[in-house]
Amino acid sequence: MLSKFDYQRPKSLQEALTFLGEYPETKLLAGGTDLMVVLRRNMQIVDHVLDIKEIPETKRFEYKPGEGLFIGASVTVNQISESEPVKERYMALKQAADSLASYQLRNRATLVGNICNASPGADLASPLLVFDAVVHIATPQGNKEVPIQSFFTGVKRTVLNPGEIVIGVQLADSETEDHSVFLKQARIKGHDLGIAGITLRMTPSHKVSVAMSAVAPTPIRLVDLEKQISEKSLDDTLPEWLESEIKNHIKPISDIRSSADYRLHISGVLAKKGMKKLLEMGGK
Amino acid sequence: MCNHNGDSCFTYKDSGLTKIELNCVINGDKVCELVDPTMTLLNFLHNQMKLFGVKEGCGEGECGACTIMMNGKAVNSCMILAVEAEGADIVTVEGLAKDGELSTLQKEFVEFDALQCGFCTPGMLMSSRALLDQNPNPTVEEVKEAIAGNFCRCTGYFPIVDAILSAAKKEKEESK
Repeated sequence: MLSKFDYQRPKSLQEALTFLGEYPETKLLAGGTDLMVVLRRNMQIVDHVLDIKEIPETKRFEYKPGEGLFIGASVTVNQISESEPVKERYMALKQAADSLASYQLRNRATLVGNICNASPGADLASPLLVFDAVVHIATPQGNKEVPIQSFFTGVKRTVLNPGEIVIGVQLADSETEDHSVFLKQARIKGHDLGIAGITLRMTPSHKVSVAMSAVAPTPIRLVDLEKQISEKSLDDTLPEWLESEIKNHIKPISDIRSSADYRLHISGVLAKKGMKKLLEMGGK
Repeated sequence: MCNHNGDSCFTYKDSGLTKIELNCVINGDKVCELVDPTMTLLNFLHNQMKLFGVKEGCGEGECGACTIMMNGKAVNSCMILAVEAEGADIVTVEGLAKDGELSTLQKEFVEFDALQCGFCTPGMLMSSRALLDQNPNPTVEEVKEAIAGNFCRCTGYFPIVDAILSAAKKEKEESK
């Protein structure tokens, strides 16, 4: 490792913001599962690392009826997977959490780290998109809130400015009759990055939302497709229609994991499977 | 073997920065050490504490050879800075045997020929130890999920899964 960095572990948000004000290029550390690879491969030379895990606000993990679910920036992927409110109300988020990397990695990796890394294939992004998540960001000028739909700006890019810290993510409230499903295609069962991922959600009033990962420069919510679905009846023909229609709404690329053609194909298959599951779960 | 910007990934180099005091518990013993802030927990345990059961396979969280237990949870020690272990309770494969006698889990690995070259074995043992602590009656699928982040290039995995399931059964009998 060529980086020679000092290590900060502030106990308060103010302390962290003050340090970042002085050294805006500081790298933030939570789970470390992305940052440690960057450091090891000398992809960036880093002078300061700031560990956010002792900041109390980042540990908050709480469901409040009417308000929804808050997931702090230090909350690990396995904490999310094991949470009762998540199992009851945000099933797609649990399924996405269980699909990410390996069990021991999920003991460290955080949901907020997954979205801040902003990979086009971020597994946890599509559930956040359908649950209308809002990203809570602390800045030197005070806190601000950014809807997840405007959080990603490109491959590995977000709206975050140097000196800002994501405190956590707030998911809109969801009822127990709210159904959602996450599906992902990878090369192998087990520890692998996704070729494509999809989350479908149907509210008790039968509003359907769809979001995907790894089929565009950022994770995306397919709003035009959702509008088309809202004009259709939720019957047995919907999954097949969705399988072909979804291909008009995504622009996947070819890379080491898959060709663009296969990504298009498998996106259709995942959409069909997911829609069938939603209808079985009581959407009709 | 693995070079980035002329720097070998597999060689730990002291950054020369001021060392930070680290207090933690390793295999039941309280430890107070000065550590380089850029040192991984893997390098700290292996190089500084001479716990050679903690193996570096890939160094990037893919292979699981460096898996240890930290506060009861299986983690990749290559993905953690040593300084992050402040206050932590760490168990490595060296902490499994008691008074010179292998643990039941280790004995079952031997019994089922669950290792050949042995490089993955410490990581496999720590992932399965963490599983059995949390879930003493795992299904085959739960065992496979728990060790999905531990690569083995020799055994084909079946004897490992069998050994873990058998250890679960024996541990249950022993606790009666």
